[in-house]
Amino acid sequence: MSSYGRQKKKTGGQIAITILLYVIAVIVLLNIAIPLFFGLISMFKNKNEIFTLDFHVFPQVWSTDNFSRLFYLQYTTIGVNFFASFGMTLLVAAIATLLSLFINSIAGYAFARLQFPGKKVLWIIVMATMFIPGITILLTSISVVAAMGMMNTIWVLIVPGLASAYNIFFFRQAYLGFPKDYDEAARVDGCDSIAIYFRIYLPNSATPMVIMGAGTFMGYYNSYLWPTLTIDSNHAQYTQIMTLINRLFNEASTLGYGAVLAAAFISLIPAVVVFAVIQRFIKEGISLTGVK
Amino acid sequence: MAKASLYQSLRNRKTEEKVSGLILIAPAFILLTIFVLVPLILSIYRSFFYYESGPNEAVFAGFQNYIRVFQDESFLRSLANVCIMTLFIVLLQVVGSFFFANILVRMKNKFGVFVRTIIYLPYLFSGIVVACIFTLLTYYNGGVINGILGKMNADPISFTGSTFWAYVAIIVPTIWVGGGYTTLIFYSGLINIPRSLYEAMAVDGASFWNTTFYLVLPSLKNYFVLTIVTLVTGSLQMFEIPMLMTNGQPLNKTMTPVLYLIHARANGNVPQSQIIAASIVIMIVIGAINAVVFCVTNRKEKKR
Repeated sequence: MSSYGRQKKKTGGQIAITILLYVIAVIVLLNIAIPLFFGLISMFKNKNEIFTLDFHVFPQVWSTDNFSRLFYLQYTTIGVNFFASFGMTLLVAAIATLLSLFINSIAGYAFARLQFPGKKVLWIIVMATMFIPGITILLTSISVVAAMGMMNTIWVLIVPGLASAYNIFFFRQAYLGFPKDYDEAARVDGCDSIAIYFRIYLPNSATPMVIMGAGTFMGYYNSYLWPTLTIDSNHAQYTQIMTLINRLFNEASTLGYGAVLAAAFISLIPAVVVFAVIQRFIKEGISLTGVK
Repeated sequence: MAKASLYQSLRNRKTEEKVSGLILIAPAFILLTIFVLVPLILSIYRSFFYYESGPNEAVFAGFQNYIRVFQDESFLRSLANVCIMTLFIVLLQVVGSFFFANILVRMKNKFGVFVRTIIYLPYLFSGIVVACIFTLLTYYNGGVINGILGKMNADPISFTGSTFWAYVAIIVPTIWVGGGYTTLIFYSGLINIPRSLYEAMAVDGASFWNTTFYLVLPSLKNYFVLTIVTLVTGSLQMFEIPMLMTNGQPLNKTMTPVLYLIHARANGNVPQSQIIAASIVIMIVIGAINAVVFCVTNRKEKKR
Protein backbone atom coordinates (compact mmCIF):
# COMPACT_ATOMS: atom_id res chain seq x y z
CA MET A 1 0.00 0.00 0.00
CA SER A 2 2.71 2.39 1.05
CA SER A 3 4.78 1.53 -1.97
CA TYR A 4 1.76 2.18 -4.17
CA GLY A 5 1.34 5.57 -2.56
CA ARG A 6 4.99 6.46 -3.05
CA GLN A 7 4.86 5.43 -6.66
CA LYS A 8 1.77 7.54 -7.22
CA LYS A 9 3.48 10.54 -5.66
CA LYS A 10 6.50 10.07 -7.95
CA THR A 11 4.18 9.86 -10.95
CA GLY A 12 2.61 13.13 -9.86
CA GLY A 13 6.06 14.75 -9.80
CA GLN A 14 6.85 13.29 -13.17
CA ILE A 15 3.64 14.72 -14.59
CA ALA A 16 4.60 18.13 -13.24
CA ILE A 17 8.05 17.84 -14.85
CA THR A 18 6.50 16.71 -18.13
CA ILE A 19 4.18 19.71 -18.12
CA LEU A 20 7.13 21.99 -17.39
CA LEU A 21 9.06 20.49 -20.32
CA TYR A 22 6.15 21.12 -22.66
CA VAL A 23 5.75 24.67 -21.39
CA ILE A 24 9.45 25.33 -22.13
CA ALA A 25 9.11 23.79 -25.59
CA VAL A 26 6.08 25.96 -26.35
CA ILE A 27 7.98 29.06 -25.15
CA VAL A 28 10.86 28.19 -27.50
CA LEU A 29 8.44 27.76 -30.40
CA LEU A 30 6.81 31.11 -29.59
CA ASN A 31 10.23 32.76 -29.54
CA ILE A 32 10.84 31.50 -33.06
CA ALA A 33 7.35 32.40 -34.23
CA ILE A 34 6.84 35.88 -32.72
CA PRO A 35 9.37 37.85 -34.82
CA LEU A 36 8.13 36.07 -37.96
CA PHE A 37 4.52 36.74 -37.00
CA PHE A 38 5.06 40.49 -36.54
CA GLY A 39 7.08 40.64 -39.73
CA LEU A 40 4.42 38.84 -41.76
CA ILE A 41 1.61 40.98 -40.33
CA SER A 42 3.48 44.25 -40.83
CA MET A 43 4.05 43.57 -44.53
CA PHE A 44 0.37 44.41 -44.97
CA LYS A 45 0.53 47.71 -43.09
CA ASN A 46 0.70 50.78 -45.27
CA LYS A 47 3.55 53.25 -45.05
CA ASN A 48 1.89 55.48 -42.44
CA GLU A 49 0.93 52.64 -40.17
CA ILE A 50 4.31 51.00 -39.75
CA PHE A 51 6.62 52.66 -37.22
CA THR A 52 4.01 54.97 -35.70
CA LEU A 53 3.63 55.66 -32.03
CA ASP A 54 -0.02 54.59 -32.29
CA PHE A 55 0.85 50.89 -32.37
CA HIS A 56 -1.60 48.19 -33.44
CA VAL A 57 -0.70 44.51 -33.80
CA PHE A 58 -2.86 44.03 -36.89
CA PRO A 59 -3.05 46.49 -39.80
CA GLN A 60 -5.95 48.93 -39.52
CA VAL A 61 -6.23 48.75 -43.30
CA TRP A 62 -4.86 45.64 -45.01
CA SER A 63 -2.86 46.89 -47.93
CA THR A 64 -0.77 45.23 -50.61
CA ASP A 65 1.04 48.46 -51.53
CA ASN A 66 4.32 47.07 -50.19
CA PHE A 67 4.23 44.23 -52.71
CA SER A 68 3.22 46.41 -55.66
CA ARG A 69 6.10 48.73 -54.74
CA LEU A 70 8.51 45.87 -55.38
CA PHE A 71 7.38 45.72 -59.01
CA TYR A 72 8.55 49.29 -59.62
CA LEU A 73 11.97 49.19 -57.94
CA GLN A 74 13.78 49.37 -61.30
CA TYR A 75 12.23 52.80 -61.92
CA THR A 76 13.37 54.21 -58.56
CA THR A 77 16.84 55.20 -57.36
CA ILE A 78 17.39 51.51 -56.55
CA GLY A 79 17.38 50.75 -60.27
CA VAL A 80 17.17 46.99 -59.89
CA ASN A 81 14.29 44.76 -60.89
CA PHE A 82 13.43 42.87 -57.71
CA PHE A 83 12.06 39.74 -59.35
CA ALA A 84 14.85 39.60 -61.93
CA SER A 85 17.36 39.80 -59.07
CA PHE A 86 15.47 37.08 -57.20
CA GLY A 87 15.57 34.88 -60.31
CA MET A 88 19.24 35.62 -61.00
CA THR A 89 20.15 34.72 -57.42
CA LEU A 90 18.25 31.42 -57.69
CA LEU A 91 19.96 30.70 -61.02
CA VAL A 92 23.43 31.42 -59.62
CA ALA A 93 22.75 29.31 -56.53
CA ALA A 94 21.37 26.42 -58.61
CA ILE A 95 24.28 26.32 -61.10
CA ALA A 96 26.81 26.70 -58.29
CA THR A 97 25.20 23.95 -56.23
CA LEU A 98 25.26 21.43 -59.09
CA LEU A 99 28.90 22.19 -59.97
CA SER A 100 29.94 22.27 -56.33
CA LEU A 101 28.32 18.93 -55.51
CA PHE A 102 30.10 17.31 -58.44
CA ILE A 103 33.53 18.83 -57.77
CA ASN A 104 33.48 18.15 -54.03
CA SER A 105 31.97 14.68 -54.18
CA ILE A 106 34.55 13.37 -56.68
CA ALA A 107 37.30 14.79 -54.45
CA GLY A 108 35.66 13.26 -51.36
CA TYR A 109 35.44 9.92 -53.16
CA ALA A 110 39.11 10.05 -54.16
CA PHE A 111 40.20 10.88 -50.61
CA ALA A 112 37.98 8.13 -49.19
CA ARG A 113 38.78 5.27 -51.55
CA LEU A 114 41.76 5.80 -53.85
CA GLN A 115 45.51 5.62 -53.23
CA PHE A 116 47.40 8.32 -55.12
CA PRO A 117 50.73 10.09 -54.65
CA GLY A 118 50.72 13.01 -52.23
CA LYS A 119 47.33 12.05 -50.81
CA LYS A 120 48.25 12.81 -47.19
CA VAL A 121 49.82 16.18 -47.92
CA LEU A 122 46.97 17.20 -50.22
CA TRP A 123 44.44 16.18 -47.55
CA ILE A 124 46.20 18.30 -44.93
CA ILE A 125 46.29 21.29 -47.30
CA VAL A 126 42.59 20.89 -48.14
CA MET A 127 41.62 20.62 -44.47
CA ALA A 128 43.81 23.62 -43.58
CA THR A 129 41.77 25.82 -45.95
CA MET A 130 38.79 25.24 -43.65
CA PHE A 131 40.48 27.30 -40.94
CA ILE A 132 41.12 30.39 -43.04
CA PRO A 133 38.53 33.05 -42.18
CA GLY A 134 36.76 34.62 -45.15
CA ILE A 135 37.76 38.15 -44.10
CA THR A 136 41.48 37.28 -44.23
CA ILE A 137 41.34 36.48 -47.94
CA LEU A 138 38.51 38.83 -48.91
CA LEU A 139 40.50 41.73 -50.37
CA THR A 140 43.14 39.61 -52.07
CA SER A 141 40.45 37.32 -53.52
CA ILE A 142 39.00 40.42 -55.14
CA SER A 143 42.46 41.14 -56.62
CA VAL A 144 42.61 37.56 -57.93
CA VAL A 145 39.18 37.61 -59.60
CA ALA A 146 39.91 41.08 -60.98
CA ALA A 147 43.16 39.81 -62.49
CA MET A 148 41.23 36.95 -64.06
CA GLY A 149 38.75 39.42 -65.59
CA MET A 150 35.84 37.94 -63.69
CA MET A 151 34.59 41.13 -61.99
CA ASN A 152 30.97 42.05 -62.79
CA THR A 153 30.24 38.74 -64.49
CA ILE A 154 28.08 35.84 -63.39
CA TRP A 155 31.29 33.79 -62.94
CA VAL A 156 32.57 35.88 -60.06
CA LEU A 157 29.42 34.91 -58.19
CA ILE A 158 29.68 31.20 -58.97
CA VAL A 159 33.28 30.01 -59.34
CA PRO A 160 35.27 31.21 -56.29
CA GLY A 161 33.05 29.39 -53.79
CA LEU A 162 32.69 26.09 -55.64
CA ALA A 163 35.38 24.03 -53.91
CA SER A 164 34.77 23.65 -50.20
CA ALA A 165 36.94 21.75 -47.75
CA TYR A 166 33.94 21.27 -45.51
CA ASN A 167 31.94 19.62 -48.31
CA ILE A 168 34.90 17.46 -49.35
CA PHE A 169 35.30 16.34 -45.74
CA PHE A 170 31.60 15.57 -45.54
CA PHE A 171 31.53 13.53 -48.76
CA ARG A 172 34.64 11.62 -47.72
CA GLN A 173 32.96 10.84 -44.41
CA ALA A 174 29.81 9.62 -46.19
CA TYR A 175 31.76 7.50 -48.71
CA LEU A 176 33.91 5.90 -46.00
CA GLY A 177 30.65 4.39 -44.74
CA PHE A 178 29.93 2.71 -48.09
CA PRO A 179 30.65 -1.06 -48.21
CA LYS A 180 33.90 -1.74 -50.08
CA ASP A 181 32.63 -5.03 -51.53
CA TYR A 182 30.77 -3.17 -54.28
CA ASP A 183 34.04 -1.61 -55.48
CA GLU A 184 35.67 -5.02 -55.73
CA ALA A 185 32.68 -6.49 -57.57
CA ALA A 186 32.73 -3.58 -60.01
CA ARG A 187 36.49 -3.98 -60.56
CA VAL A 188 36.00 -7.64 -61.41
CA ASP A 189 33.48 -6.45 -64.00
CA GLY A 190 36.18 -4.23 -65.44
CA CYS A 191 35.27 -0.83 -64.02
CA ASP A 192 38.04 1.65 -63.34
CA SER A 193 37.99 4.05 -60.35
CA ILE A 194 36.18 6.81 -62.21
CA ALA A 195 33.52 4.43 -63.51
CA ILE A 196 33.02 3.12 -59.97
CA TYR A 197 32.22 6.64 -58.82
CA PHE A 198 29.65 7.14 -61.56
CA ARG A 199 28.10 3.66 -61.34
CA ILE A 200 28.12 3.03 -57.58
CA TYR A 201 28.95 6.06 -55.47
CA LEU A 202 27.05 8.79 -57.32
CA PRO A 203 23.75 6.85 -57.63
CA ASN A 204 23.86 5.98 -53.92
CA SER A 205 24.70 9.41 -52.54
CA ALA A 206 21.19 10.89 -52.46
CA THR A 207 21.39 11.67 -48.74
CA PRO A 208 24.78 13.44 -48.70
CA MET A 209 23.89 15.18 -51.97
CA VAL A 210 20.63 16.55 -50.55
CA ILE A 211 22.23 17.66 -47.27
CA MET A 212 25.31 19.25 -48.84
CA GLY A 213 23.24 20.59 -51.73
CA ALA A 214 20.89 22.35 -49.33
CA GLY A 215 23.77 23.88 -47.39
CA THR A 216 25.61 24.98 -50.53
CA PHE A 217 22.46 26.36 -52.14
CA MET A 218 21.53 28.41 -49.06
CA GLY A 219 25.13 29.55 -48.65
CA TYR A 220 25.15 30.96 -52.17
CA TYR A 221 21.63 32.29 -51.96
CA ASN A 222 22.21 34.06 -48.63
CA SER A 223 25.62 35.48 -49.40
CA TYR A 224 25.84 39.23 -49.10
CA LEU A 225 29.38 40.54 -48.84
CA TRP A 226 31.05 38.89 -51.84
CA PRO A 227 28.30 39.77 -54.40
CA THR A 228 28.17 43.31 -53.01
CA LEU A 229 31.89 43.86 -53.51
CA THR A 230 32.28 42.14 -56.89
CA ILE A 231 29.21 43.42 -58.79
CA ASP A 232 28.95 47.18 -59.28
CA SER A 233 25.84 49.23 -59.96
CA ASN A 234 26.51 49.33 -63.72
CA HIS A 235 25.84 45.59 -63.83
CA ALA A 236 22.49 45.63 -62.04
CA GLN A 237 21.34 42.47 -63.83
CA TYR A 238 23.67 40.44 -61.58
CA THR A 239 22.60 42.10 -58.32
CA GLN A 240 22.08 39.35 -55.77
CA ILE A 241 19.00 39.37 -53.59
CA MET A 242 20.71 39.98 -50.22
CA THR A 243 22.65 42.93 -51.64
CA LEU A 244 19.36 44.31 -52.91
CA ILE A 245 17.55 43.80 -49.59
CA ASN A 246 20.36 45.57 -47.76
CA ARG A 247 19.99 48.50 -50.17
CA LEU A 248 16.22 48.53 -49.61
CA PHE A 249 16.90 48.53 -45.86
CA ASN A 250 19.13 51.59 -46.27
CA GLU A 251 16.43 53.31 -48.37
CA ALA A 252 13.66 52.38 -45.94
CA SER A 253 12.82 56.01 -45.17
CA THR A 254 11.70 56.63 -48.78
CA LEU A 255 10.40 53.15 -49.65
CA GLY A 256 8.66 52.41 -46.37
CA TYR A 257 9.73 49.61 -44.07
CA GLY A 258 6.80 47.44 -45.18
CA ALA A 259 8.37 47.13 -48.62
CA VAL A 260 11.65 46.02 -47.01
CA LEU A 261 9.76 43.36 -45.06
CA ALA A 262 7.83 42.26 -48.14
CA ALA A 263 11.11 41.81 -50.03
CA ALA A 264 12.68 40.04 -47.05
CA PHE A 265 9.82 37.57 -46.70
CA ILE A 266 9.64 36.85 -50.44
CA SER A 267 13.37 36.13 -50.26
CA LEU A 268 12.68 33.55 -47.53
CA ILE A 269 10.57 31.39 -49.86
CA PRO A 270 13.56 29.35 -51.16
CA ALA A 271 14.70 28.76 -47.56
CA VAL A 272 11.27 27.39 -46.66
CA VAL A 273 11.21 25.17 -49.75
CA VAL A 274 14.70 23.85 -48.96
CA PHE A 275 13.59 23.29 -45.37
CA ALA A 276 10.58 21.26 -46.56
CA VAL A 277 12.79 19.14 -48.81
CA ILE A 278 15.52 18.38 -46.28
CA GLN A 279 13.63 18.08 -43.02
CA ARG A 280 13.63 14.30 -43.06
CA PHE A 281 17.37 14.34 -43.77
CA ILE A 282 18.31 16.75 -40.99
CA LYS A 283 18.93 14.17 -38.27
CA GLU A 284 21.03 11.97 -40.53
CA GLY A 285 22.88 15.04 -41.78
CA ILE A 286 23.93 16.12 -38.33
CA SER A 287 25.12 12.65 -37.38
CA LEU A 288 27.15 12.60 -40.61
CA THR A 289 28.83 15.98 -40.20
CA GLY A 290 31.77 14.38 -38.53
CA VAL A 291 31.14 14.54 -34.80
CA LYS A 292 32.40 11.35 -33.31
CA MET B 1 51.02 -17.11 -66.77
CA ALA B 2 47.89 -16.62 -64.69
CA LYS B 3 50.03 -15.32 -61.85
CA ALA B 4 51.75 -12.86 -64.13
CA SER B 5 48.49 -11.53 -65.51
CA LEU B 6 47.08 -11.11 -61.98
CA TYR B 7 50.23 -9.22 -61.04
CA GLN B 8 49.94 -7.20 -64.20
CA SER B 9 46.32 -6.30 -63.55
CA LEU B 10 47.12 -5.39 -59.94
CA ARG B 11 49.93 -3.15 -61.11
CA ASN B 12 47.69 -1.60 -63.75
CA ARG B 13 45.04 -1.09 -61.14
CA LYS B 14 47.47 0.75 -58.89
CA THR B 15 48.58 3.02 -61.71
CA GLU B 16 44.97 3.53 -62.73
CA GLU B 17 44.06 4.49 -59.12
CA LYS B 18 46.92 6.98 -58.95
CA VAL B 19 45.92 8.68 -62.18
CA SER B 20 42.18 8.60 -61.44
CA GLY B 21 42.72 9.88 -57.90
CA LEU B 22 44.71 12.86 -59.11
CA ILE B 23 42.16 13.58 -61.86
CA LEU B 24 39.26 13.45 -59.38
CA ILE B 25 40.79 15.80 -56.81
CA ALA B 26 42.22 18.16 -59.44
CA PRO B 27 39.17 20.45 -59.94
CA ALA B 28 38.63 20.99 -56.21
CA PHE B 29 42.33 21.37 -55.49
CA ILE B 30 42.93 23.84 -58.32
CA LEU B 31 39.93 25.94 -57.23
CA LEU B 32 41.04 25.92 -53.59
CA THR B 33 44.52 26.95 -54.70
CA ILE B 34 43.34 29.85 -56.86
CA PHE B 35 40.64 31.18 -54.56
CA VAL B 36 41.95 30.34 -51.09
CA LEU B 37 45.67 29.57 -51.02
CA VAL B 38 46.83 32.22 -53.50
CA PRO B 39 44.75 34.96 -51.80
CA LEU B 40 46.11 33.83 -48.41
CA ILE B 41 49.72 34.00 -49.59
CA LEU B 42 48.97 37.33 -51.25
CA SER B 43 47.43 38.61 -48.00
CA ILE B 44 50.46 37.60 -45.96
CA TYR B 45 52.77 39.12 -48.58
CA ARG B 46 50.88 42.42 -48.84
CA SER B 47 50.66 42.79 -45.08
CA PHE B 48 54.46 43.34 -45.10
CA PHE B 49 54.47 46.08 -47.76
CA TYR B 50 53.36 49.66 -48.21
CA TYR B 51 51.50 50.57 -51.38
CA GLU B 52 51.97 54.32 -51.36
CA SER B 53 51.32 55.02 -55.04
CA GLY B 54 49.42 52.12 -56.53
CA PRO B 55 49.70 48.36 -56.28
CA ASN B 56 52.81 48.17 -58.50
CA GLU B 57 55.02 50.26 -56.26
CA ALA B 58 55.47 48.20 -53.15
CA VAL B 59 57.88 49.24 -50.44
CA PHE B 60 58.90 46.70 -47.85
CA ALA B 61 57.38 47.69 -44.54
CA GLY B 62 58.48 44.98 -42.14
CA PHE B 63 56.02 44.78 -39.27
CA GLN B 64 54.97 48.44 -39.70
CA ASN B 65 51.46 47.51 -40.90
CA TYR B 66 50.99 45.26 -37.89
CA ILE B 67 52.30 47.93 -35.54
CA ARG B 68 49.78 50.35 -37.02
CA VAL B 69 47.02 47.78 -36.52
CA PHE B 70 47.88 47.57 -32.83
CA GLN B 71 47.98 51.38 -32.60
CA ASP B 72 44.53 51.62 -34.17
CA GLU B 73 42.30 52.03 -31.13
CA SER B 74 39.07 51.67 -33.12
CA PHE B 75 40.16 48.29 -34.42
CA LEU B 76 41.31 47.07 -31.01
CA ARG B 77 38.04 48.20 -29.48
CA SER B 78 36.08 46.36 -32.19
CA LEU B 79 38.11 43.24 -31.40
CA ALA B 80 37.32 43.61 -27.68
CA ASN B 81 33.62 44.17 -28.46
CA VAL B 82 33.35 41.09 -30.58
CA CYS B 83 35.14 39.00 -27.94
CA ILE B 84 32.60 40.08 -25.31
CA MET B 85 29.67 39.39 -27.63
CA THR B 86 31.16 36.02 -28.61
CA LEU B 87 31.53 35.10 -24.94
CA PHE B 88 27.84 35.82 -24.31
CA ILE B 89 26.71 34.06 -27.49
CA VAL B 90 28.76 30.95 -26.74
CA LEU B 91 27.67 30.78 -23.09
CA LEU B 92 23.97 31.40 -23.74
CA GLN B 93 23.71 29.31 -26.87
CA VAL B 94 25.70 26.30 -25.65
CA VAL B 95 24.03 26.14 -22.22
CA GLY B 96 20.56 26.88 -23.65
CA SER B 97 20.90 24.38 -26.49
CA PHE B 98 22.24 21.63 -24.25
CA PHE B 99 19.39 22.25 -21.80
CA PHE B 100 16.76 22.24 -24.55
CA ALA B 101 18.25 19.14 -26.21
CA ASN B 102 17.80 17.33 -22.87
CA ILE B 103 14.15 18.35 -22.94
CA LEU B 104 13.69 17.20 -26.55
CA VAL B 105 15.16 13.76 -25.76
CA ARG B 106 12.33 13.28 -23.27
CA MET B 107 9.63 14.13 -25.83
CA LYS B 108 9.01 10.96 -27.73
CA ASN B 109 5.74 11.92 -29.45
CA LYS B 110 4.68 13.78 -32.57
CA PHE B 111 5.00 17.14 -30.80
CA GLY B 112 8.66 16.40 -30.07
CA VAL B 113 9.25 15.57 -33.74
CA PHE B 114 7.52 18.81 -34.72
CA VAL B 115 9.68 20.91 -32.39
CA ARG B 116 12.87 19.18 -33.55
CA THR B 117 11.95 19.94 -37.14
CA ILE B 118 10.84 23.54 -36.78
CA ILE B 119 13.77 24.79 -34.66
CA TYR B 120 16.07 24.16 -37.63
CA LEU B 121 14.22 26.59 -39.92
CA PRO B 122 15.83 29.93 -38.81
CA TYR B 123 19.27 28.43 -39.49
CA LEU B 124 18.50 28.68 -43.22
CA PHE B 125 17.75 32.42 -43.05
CA SER B 126 20.35 34.99 -44.02
CA GLY B 127 21.64 37.47 -41.46
CA ILE B 128 20.39 40.33 -43.63
CA VAL B 129 16.78 39.11 -43.62
CA VAL B 130 16.86 38.21 -39.92
CA ALA B 131 18.16 41.68 -39.09
CA CYS B 132 15.37 43.24 -41.22
CA ILE B 133 12.78 41.28 -39.23
CA PHE B 134 14.31 42.11 -35.84
CA THR B 135 14.71 45.78 -36.71
CA LEU B 136 10.91 45.88 -36.98
CA LEU B 137 10.85 44.84 -33.32
CA THR B 138 13.64 47.07 -32.01
CA TYR B 139 13.13 50.29 -33.99
CA TYR B 140 13.01 53.27 -31.60
CA ASN B 141 10.11 55.23 -33.06
CA GLY B 142 7.23 52.82 -33.28
CA GLY B 143 8.94 49.44 -33.45
CA VAL B 144 6.88 46.54 -32.09
CA ILE B 145 8.59 46.42 -28.68
CA ASN B 146 8.33 50.16 -28.08
CA GLY B 147 4.78 50.13 -29.48
CA ILE B 148 3.74 47.56 -26.89
CA LEU B 149 5.67 49.40 -24.14
CA GLY B 150 3.87 52.58 -25.19
CA LYS B 151 0.48 50.87 -24.82
CA MET B 152 1.53 49.94 -21.29
CA ASN B 153 2.69 53.52 -20.64
CA ALA B 154 6.25 52.30 -20.09
CA ASP B 155 9.36 54.15 -21.25
CA PRO B 156 10.58 53.18 -24.71
CA ILE B 157 13.87 51.28 -25.06
CA SER B 158 16.57 52.72 -27.30
CA PHE B 159 18.37 49.70 -28.67
CA THR B 160 21.13 51.83 -30.13
CA GLY B 161 21.30 54.17 -27.16
CA SER B 162 22.85 51.97 -24.50
CA THR B 163 25.56 49.34 -24.73
CA PHE B 164 23.44 46.77 -22.90
CA TRP B 165 20.43 47.04 -25.22
CA ALA B 166 22.66 47.22 -28.30
CA TYR B 167 24.24 43.93 -27.22
CA VAL B 168 20.76 42.48 -26.74
CA ALA B 169 19.77 43.67 -30.24
CA ILE B 170 22.71 41.74 -31.72
CA ILE B 171 22.95 38.68 -29.50
CA VAL B 172 19.24 37.75 -29.50
CA PRO B 173 18.87 37.55 -33.32
CA THR B 174 22.20 35.72 -33.57
CA ILE B 175 21.06 33.03 -31.15
CA TRP B 176 17.60 33.04 -32.77
CA VAL B 177 19.26 31.96 -36.03
CA GLY B 178 21.67 29.34 -34.72
CA GLY B 179 20.18 28.06 -31.46
CA GLY B 180 17.98 25.42 -33.07
CA TYR B 181 20.86 23.99 -35.06
CA THR B 182 23.12 23.66 -32.00
CA THR B 183 20.22 22.07 -30.12
CA LEU B 184 19.93 19.44 -32.86
CA ILE B 185 23.69 18.75 -32.66
CA PHE B 186 23.42 18.11 -28.91
CA TYR B 187 20.22 16.13 -29.48
CA SER B 188 21.97 13.79 -31.91
CA GLY B 189 24.76 13.39 -29.36
CA LEU B 190 22.33 12.55 -26.58
CA ILE B 191 20.48 9.88 -28.56
CA ASN B 192 23.83 8.28 -29.46
CA ILE B 193 24.64 7.52 -25.80
CA PRO B 194 23.84 3.81 -25.33
CA ARG B 195 20.81 3.18 -23.12
CA SER B 196 22.74 0.48 -21.24
CA LEU B 197 25.05 3.14 -19.78
CA TYR B 198 22.08 5.05 -18.38
CA GLU B 199 20.73 1.82 -16.91
CA ALA B 200 24.10 0.99 -15.34
CA MET B 201 24.15 4.44 -13.72
CA ALA B 202 20.59 3.91 -12.47
CA VAL B 203 21.52 0.51 -10.98
CA ASP B 204 24.40 2.19 -9.13
CA GLY B 205 21.83 4.64 -7.72
CA ALA B 206 23.28 7.70 -9.46
CA SER B 207 21.24 10.89 -9.22
CA PHE B 208 20.21 13.00 -12.22
CA TRP B 209 23.14 15.37 -11.65
CA ASN B 210 25.62 12.53 -11.29
CA THR B 211 24.37 11.04 -14.53
CA THR B 212 24.74 14.42 -16.22
CA PHE B 213 28.26 15.11 -14.93
CA TYR B 214 29.78 11.64 -15.14
CA LEU B 215 28.01 10.20 -18.18
CA VAL B 216 26.34 12.80 -20.39
CA LEU B 217 28.90 15.63 -20.38
CA PRO B 218 31.96 13.39 -20.98
CA SER B 219 30.11 11.50 -23.76
CA LEU B 220 29.25 14.77 -25.48
CA LYS B 221 32.76 16.25 -25.20
CA ASN B 222 33.35 16.30 -28.94
CA TYR B 223 29.92 17.81 -29.57
CA PHE B 224 30.79 20.64 -27.18
CA VAL B 225 34.16 21.21 -28.86
CA LEU B 226 32.60 21.26 -32.34
CA THR B 227 29.82 23.62 -31.26
CA ILE B 228 32.10 26.01 -29.39
CA VAL B 229 34.70 26.12 -32.18
CA THR B 230 32.02 26.75 -34.82
CA LEU B 231 30.36 29.43 -32.70
CA VAL B 232 33.63 31.18 -31.85
CA THR B 233 34.78 31.17 -35.48
CA GLY B 234 31.41 32.44 -36.73
CA SER B 235 30.76 35.00 -33.99
CA LEU B 236 34.21 36.60 -34.20
CA GLN B 237 33.54 37.27 -37.90
CA MET B 238 29.93 38.40 -37.52
CA PHE B 239 28.92 41.58 -39.25
CA GLU B 240 25.59 41.30 -41.12
CA ILE B 241 23.39 41.39 -38.02
CA PRO B 242 25.51 44.05 -36.23
CA MET B 243 25.62 46.14 -39.43
CA LEU B 244 21.83 46.32 -39.75
CA MET B 245 20.82 46.19 -36.08
CA THR B 246 23.14 48.82 -34.58
CA ASN B 247 25.87 49.64 -37.14
CA GLY B 248 28.36 50.04 -34.31
CA GLN B 249 26.22 52.29 -32.15
CA PRO B 250 26.38 53.49 -29.45
CA LEU B 251 29.82 55.10 -29.83
CA ASN B 252 31.28 52.08 -31.67
CA LYS B 253 30.52 49.85 -28.68
CA THR B 254 29.05 47.21 -31.00
CA MET B 255 31.48 47.71 -33.89
CA THR B 256 32.85 44.33 -34.96
CA PRO B 257 36.26 43.89 -36.62
CA VAL B 258 34.85 42.72 -39.96
CA LEU B 259 32.35 45.57 -40.05
CA TYR B 260 35.13 48.00 -39.13
CA LEU B 261 37.38 46.73 -41.93
CA ILE B 262 34.55 46.93 -44.48
CA HIS B 263 33.80 50.50 -43.40
CA ALA B 264 37.50 51.35 -43.50
CA ARG B 265 37.80 49.94 -47.03
CA ALA B 266 34.72 51.83 -48.21
CA ASN B 267 35.84 55.11 -46.63
CA GLY B 268 39.44 54.71 -47.77
CA ASN B 269 40.73 56.16 -44.50
CA VAL B 270 42.91 53.15 -43.66
CA PRO B 271 45.59 51.90 -46.09
CA GLN B 272 44.70 48.66 -47.87
CA SER B 273 47.81 46.86 -46.56
CA GLN B 274 46.91 47.78 -42.99
CA ILE B 275 43.39 46.38 -43.49
CA ILE B 276 44.96 43.17 -44.75
CA ALA B 277 47.32 43.03 -41.76
CA ALA B 278 44.32 43.51 -39.49
CA SER B 279 42.48 40.66 -41.24
CA ILE B 280 45.47 38.41 -40.57
CA VAL B 281 45.38 39.46 -36.92
CA ILE B 282 41.72 38.32 -36.91
CA MET B 283 42.78 34.94 -38.30
CA ILE B 284 45.42 34.59 -35.58
CA VAL B 285 42.93 35.56 -32.85
CA ILE B 286 40.38 33.00 -34.08
CA GLY B 287 43.08 30.32 -34.32
CA ALA B 288 44.39 31.12 -30.84
CA ILE B 289 40.94 31.01 -29.21
CA ASN B 290 40.12 27.72 -30.92
CA ALA B 291 43.49 26.30 -29.82
CA VAL B 292 42.65 27.25 -26.23
CA VAL B 293 39.25 25.50 -26.54
CA PHE B 294 40.98 22.33 -27.79
CA CYS B 295 43.62 22.44 -25.04
CA VAL B 296 41.11 23.00 -22.23
CA THR B 297 38.91 20.10 -23.30
CA ASN B 298 41.87 17.76 -23.77
CA ARG B 299 43.31 18.56 -20.36
CA LYS B 300 39.96 17.78 -18.75
CA GLU B 301 39.99 14.40 -20.41
CA LYS B 302 43.46 13.58 -19.05
CA LYS B 303 42.31 14.44 -15.53
CA ARG B 304 39.45 12.03 -15.88
